[in-house]
Amino acid sequence: MKAEAIRTLLEQAFPNAVELGVEDRTGTGDHFQVTVASAEFAGLSLLDQHRRVNAALAAPLGDGSIHELRIRTKGIE
Amino acid sequence: MSTLSEQISDVIEKEPVALFMKGTPEMVMCGNSSRALNALTAVGAPVTTVDILPDPRIRQELAEISGWPTIPQVFVKGELIGGADITEELLASGDLQRKVDEALGADRSQDVKVVALTVD
Repeated sequence: MKAEAIRTLLEQAFPNAVELGVEDRTGTGDHFQVTVASAEFAGLSLLDQHRRVNAALAAPLGDGSIHELRIRTKGIE
Repeated sequence: MSTLSEQISDVIEKEPVALFMKGTPEMVMCGNSSRALNALTAVGAPVTTVDILPDPRIRQELAEISGWPTIPQVFVKGELIGGADITEELLASGDLQRKVDEALGADRSQDVKVVALTVD
């Protein structure tokens, strides 16, 4: 899976993101570090912020395209 | 015999700190499981680990119960804390220490143990 495909899914889920990063950590298309900073996270617990990201990537997480996902989120006030 | 789902719920509800991971503390099979385990031991938490690797159904049932798709998963007193990233962030901010101290008290066991689930 290409990082760009992950980015597209995140852009669709978080249209208001001020920062959106996807890094293929191993160059193998299955270990990703994603960073999302968005006003949509404001007031949400870290757990709920990560739940939103997991939901946005539910399809590739579910079918095994993503083997490892590291998430960093920031709520913008 | 209790179902797999019941066994998983039992661990989550009854163990002070539960860590669902790939491998065991003695042979961790995944970097993220190792990160979560290290964060928990760094705050002196007792940790009850469950290896999800022996059967894919363990991971499926766990995801249905917790609503969390990835491994590892950390629970304190039945409450989902998150995966490795959140556990490490909470360690860095001091919140993990506070959470464990509040939930379990300062005078607590720091044992690390392994629970094996029975899959028929």
